[in-house]
Amino acid sequence: MISQLVQLVVSGLALGAIYALIALGFVVIYRASEVFNFAQGELLSTGAFLMVALCGAGVPWALALILAMALTGLLAAGIERAVMRPLIGRPIFVSAILTIFVGFFLRAMVIIIWGVEPRGMPTPWETTGVIELGEARVLWNSIGSVVAGLLTLGAFFLLIRYTKLGVAMRAASADQEASLAHGIPVGRILGTTWFLAGMFAALGGVFLGMFPSSVDSNLGLIALRAFPAVILGGLESPLGAVLAALILGVLEVLAQAYLNPVMGHFGHNFHGVFPYLVMILVLIVRPYGLFGHQEVKRA
Amino acid sequence: MPTRPLLTRYEDDLKLFPDRWNLIGLAIAIPILLAYPFLANAQWLTVGNLAWVTVVGAVGMMMLTGFSGQISLGHAAFLALGAYTTAILGEQFGLPFWLGIPVSGVVAAAVGLAIGPFALRLEGLYLAIVTLGLLFLVNHTLHSLPDITHGSIGIAVPMHTWFPAEGTPSPMGTFAQPLELGPLALSFERKLYFVFLALAMLVTYVGVNIQRSNTGRSMMAVRDHDVAAAVMGVHPARAKIISFGLSAFFAGIAGAMFACQQQYITIEPPFDLNMSVQYIAIIVLGGVGTIFGAVWGALVFVALSPLAENLFDALKPHIPLLGGLSSAQQATLLFSLIVVGFLIFEPLGLFGLWLRIKRYFLAWPFKY
Repeated sequence: MISQLVQLVVSGLALGAIYALIALGFVVIYRASEVFNFAQGELLSTGAFLMVALCGAGVPWALALILAMALTGLLAAGIERAVMRPLIGRPIFVSAILTIFVGFFLRAMVIIIWGVEPRGMPTPWETTGVIELGEARVLWNSIGSVVAGLLTLGAFFLLIRYTKLGVAMRAASADQEASLAHGIPVGRILGTTWFLAGMFAALGGVFLGMFPSSVDSNLGLIALRAFPAVILGGLESPLGAVLAALILGVLEVLAQAYLNPVMGHFGHNFHGVFPYLVMILVLIVRPYGLFGHQEVKRA
Repeated sequence: MPTRPLLTRYEDDLKLFPDRWNLIGLAIAIPILLAYPFLANAQWLTVGNLAWVTVVGAVGMMMLTGFSGQISLGHAAFLALGAYTTAILGEQFGLPFWLGIPVSGVVAAAVGLAIGPFALRLEGLYLAIVTLGLLFLVNHTLHSLPDITHGSIGIAVPMHTWFPAEGTPSPMGTFAQPLELGPLALSFERKLYFVFLALAMLVTYVGVNIQRSNTGRSMMAVRDHDVAAAVMGVHPARAKIISFGLSAFFAGIAGAMFACQQQYITIEPPFDLNMSVQYIAIIVLGGVGTIFGAVWGALVFVALSPLAENLFDALKPHIPLLGGLSSAQQATLLFSLIVVGFLIFEPLGLFGLWLRIKRYFLAWPFKY
């Protein structure tokens, strides 16, 4: 019983770590430019496919990971420069819609280049290897995604807290005009945020594509399941998004194990909508998320 | 660019047909629309039917997102509710379709009105994601009631013209049978076309009337600045809830029409996020905030998918990689390119394009 719980919590945390990487990608872009990037999921699957392709070409795993992250980041920055930059100053609605279609486009490109058949994601450890924690058996892949997620998140918080770039990013997200007046190259900062978001997406994609799932063109749909984490944490708060992602990941796995079987017909696939249910209930009480702050409106 | 000529009287602002060009256009359009089902081949007749369904759905989307500025990713949920209401009423109770369609609208509107108050507290993207959650919840509920919706197997949609008498089994309803009317052979699809044309016309007329009435103007005031609107005596909460209800009502009707057109429906696809996004794209393509945009966006969108098929068939021999895409993905690809282009270069969509053309001819021979 306990061992099952441990097993579930760890795999929930692994799922949550991937949600956190996706959610962080959303939040980074949203803070900087108030754009909700619906293409994040497709960036994730692009990253995963790049990783598979690079490993297939014989590049060592660690180098392939870095390359896949960098390439996806560059792709994201390129999208920002080519498509999003002309829309600065237009309603956020327009840019958010645009990213949906950028996502469709990326997805079509992934299918054109790599086809639709699923592939296995190479891992540096044994692909289906497990580790015994007491009586619980936990996949190495789960441990790997939690560790990679935490390391990246830590690095990101150090970056925005202590580096010049991080300060510039925070300034640009607080007030673009004032930042420009202080000599911060806001355009380049926006590109950087998209680069970071692309990197997070690729990392999430690599770990998401590992056993027990595989890399196929539907991988990007995971982003739909990460939305509640972003909203629940409050759109502007990276810390909130990460916490909400971990909580929702664990809740989802627990719901799948304990709630689905007792709910009859309604329980079938109930874990898929459970995060949304939690999100809606929280938003009724706190309409700006757990860590977001209410905007003061002036007439 | 101003979206219309300068008006000096309130009466001009409220006119149904602002200038005589609208009337001339209508006079030309009506005979063409009536003759269309006899001129088009089977494929384009289906396209025509789908186009009217989409027009109704797009007018509903325009109410919510175009007029009152509430971004919703849950439009497909209301279409699904409408479609399943019609299907279940027809299958279980033998209700005639002309009763089923308005009842579907009412059911969807009831859900929309129930959601409205929750939506009041949310804004922008929070609302978008919550309505997306609503879509997932509605679809999940439809899946989990297999006794009446038949779950993922799908459900047949009978179209009865009258309450069927006991013991006369007609599984697809009497409307599905072809009809000879003098020299005109009215197949099921053609009959459907005229019903849908009438419905789409009616909904467009109602839409235009809402746009130029107090209700529509208060929605637009809330969209443009809700605090300022409230200061001027508009009730923002009421305007938003009304727009939710109206939007859901039209979406429900569109869903019911869609079900009748398909004759057999499943939950996902078609009622998924893709459909919601398509409706958003339609109103963006047509021009946000105008009924003109909703109608033309819908017509162009529906006509695009057979065109995309032809285009890709022509391109395939030259570009080898395109073969991997399904026809739906081809249409999506073409459509995303077009919408991205419009968003970047012509924010007012087809409506903006139309304004430019009109402006050019009105000002001719001067540039502006």
